[in-house]
Amino acid sequence: MKPLKIAMMSLTHGHTRKYYQTLRDNPKLDWVASCAEDQRAKDVYDLYQTGVPCYLDPEQMFAEHPDIEAVVLASANSKHMEQVRFCAERGIHILSMKIPTFNMEEYDEMIELCDKAGIVCQVELEMHYNPVVLRLKKLLQEGAIGKILASQATNITLSPVWAFPWQGVPEDSFGSRVPLKDGDPRFRGGALCDHPHIFDLIRWLTNSDFDYIYSQVAPNLRKDLQVEDMLLANGKMKDGTAFLFDPSWSRLEERIPVPAPGWEVFPKRMEVNLVITGEKGVLACDCFGPNVYHNGAPNDRYTVQYTYFDEWIGLIDEFVDCCRNGKQPKINLRWHKQTIQAMLGCYESVKSNQPVCINA
Amino acid sequence: MCCEAMNKALLELCEKYSVSARGTISFEDGNFVLECNCGKKTILLPWRVERRFFELKKFLTDGTLEDLSTLRFCTVKHGGCLKKQIAKELDLAAFFTGSPVKSVFAVCAGEKGAAANIIAKLENDVNVSIECSTKLPAGNDPIDRHELIAARGVASDQTVDTQTPHASVYVYNDKGESRYTDTDTELFGFSYDEIWTIRAAFAALSDTSLFDVWNDAYATMMRGAEAAIASDEQKKVMFL
Repeated sequence: MKPLKIAMMSLTHGHTRKYYQTLRDNPKLDWVASCAEDQRAKDVYDLYQTGVPCYLDPEQMFAEHPDIEAVVLASANSKHMEQVRFCAERGIHILSMKIPTFNMEEYDEMIELCDKAGIVCQVELEMHYNPVVLRLKKLLQEGAIGKILASQATNITLSPVWAFPWQGVPEDSFGSRVPLKDGDPRFRGGALCDHPHIFDLIRWLTNSDFDYIYSQVAPNLRKDLQVEDMLLANGKMKDGTAFLFDPSWSRLEERIPVPAPGWEVFPKRMEVNLVITGEKGVLACDCFGPNVYHNGAPNDRYTVQYTYFDEWIGLIDEFVDCCRNGKQPKINLRWHKQTIQAMLGCYESVKSNQPVCINA
Repeated sequence: MCCEAMNKALLELCEKYSVSARGTISFEDGNFVLECNCGKKTILLPWRVERRFFELKKFLTDGTLEDLSTLRFCTVKHGGCLKKQIAKELDLAAFFTGSPVKSVFAVCAGEKGAAANIIAKLENDVNVSIECSTKLPAGNDPIDRHELIAARGVASDQTVDTQTPHASVYVYNDKGESRYTDTDTELFGFSYDEIWTIRAAFAALSDTSLFDVWNDAYATMMRGAEAAIASDEQKKVMFL
């Protein structure tokens, strides 16, 4: 199969650097160019020495590389709509970051544009390609604990805002400046917007949709943020499964401008764990590990060092397969829409202080 | 658990430490109750004297943690009363922080209260999440976790990057695996739960003002648990 000519745009998303190795190593890809949002993003990109040319103007990149077939939109959420329009006009396949947009009119426009252009738009939800999650799904399908009754899931991390400032700006992260609730100085656009995975995973594991959801914000750990960094959500799926999610930025970090060793203040900077109660038993799952540990450089602080992050391999494999063979990716815009609606439901619940029905 | 043996140990502790009050532990309606010879009676709240919880609370009072934001609790057991499980965790939240529960919203699942996922708000604005399950198969040690997340510091009774509690001793032999966690030399030989029941009774006899404190706390925590169950039934946040 002919390698897919691919490019990256913006380079301001927190996941940008995670693509570098996969884009270089995957024989099904030919990574031909990148285009940075601004000089700062280009300077950071240059630190990684990918050897792939980087532009500051997307028009110039496409003029220099007219054979680009697909792009990774590694940009702030607020940039996605205009970039989807840009790609759809040119018939370029899209690998979107995890939040296409929180504006549901824009969301529907994205679906329409991609349909009309006949392009693939795959949403990057890498947990689908995580081997522990695959094992979890297999165990549940085999009836290891019977029918799922309740699930608790964490998607907790440090906050990326110091390295990726747009994630702390309501207009760039949420898409507009919406207060969390009356009397609260904070705005939508924080930790919740960074952590859609567990909202997606519960749909995948139960094969059911959201019925209702309740969410509650807590006092921020980082007093200088405009957006929420601590919140909880619970509710029910339509099949009766009770869920409890923690999508917080509850692990503190050093405020460094580029992710690097020593980023962590809390020893473990990221966790996706589940405890699932079934009719016949209980299952506990840590999606990342086993890990290794050290208390060496740079801060002599006890630190959990992850041993693998290979989710991007499966994700890219699926993307190339869809582009080359005209398939629809599992996480396409239509599938992902209810996940976004559930996250919006959380914000509505925070505002009303009552549970909110999710109407698909 | 054997009340006779626990009462004997309680008497020995009172005599050793010259505590004049005397009392009797009994098991009534699913609770351990202490009746004092002074006429007072209380349901015991052993978690309030359990060392790990005492130490976690101390982190909040001695300034080790600053600006508490969220408490995350988990308890997975074999059987038992889900409402009491919820009540205990709500009491721990109030006990740790000294702040009463303001509101609760629960989602329950399964017949006869198999599981519940609860979000509570304390009067001091701290968030609390509680995951309760009674579906752990018989023969397994209970699994629980209590995490305190603050602007300065995170504390937990579970090690970082683990999913289940540790034991002190693991034995692997031709009978399989055995685990032992001994926490009290004076009460060596009693089970973990028996130890904290005896210690709670001893604490109450040593300071009889605890009888009133615990009776009030028990009533409050049961009201909280009932509100949680009602919030599930009515799909509505309940304010206490």
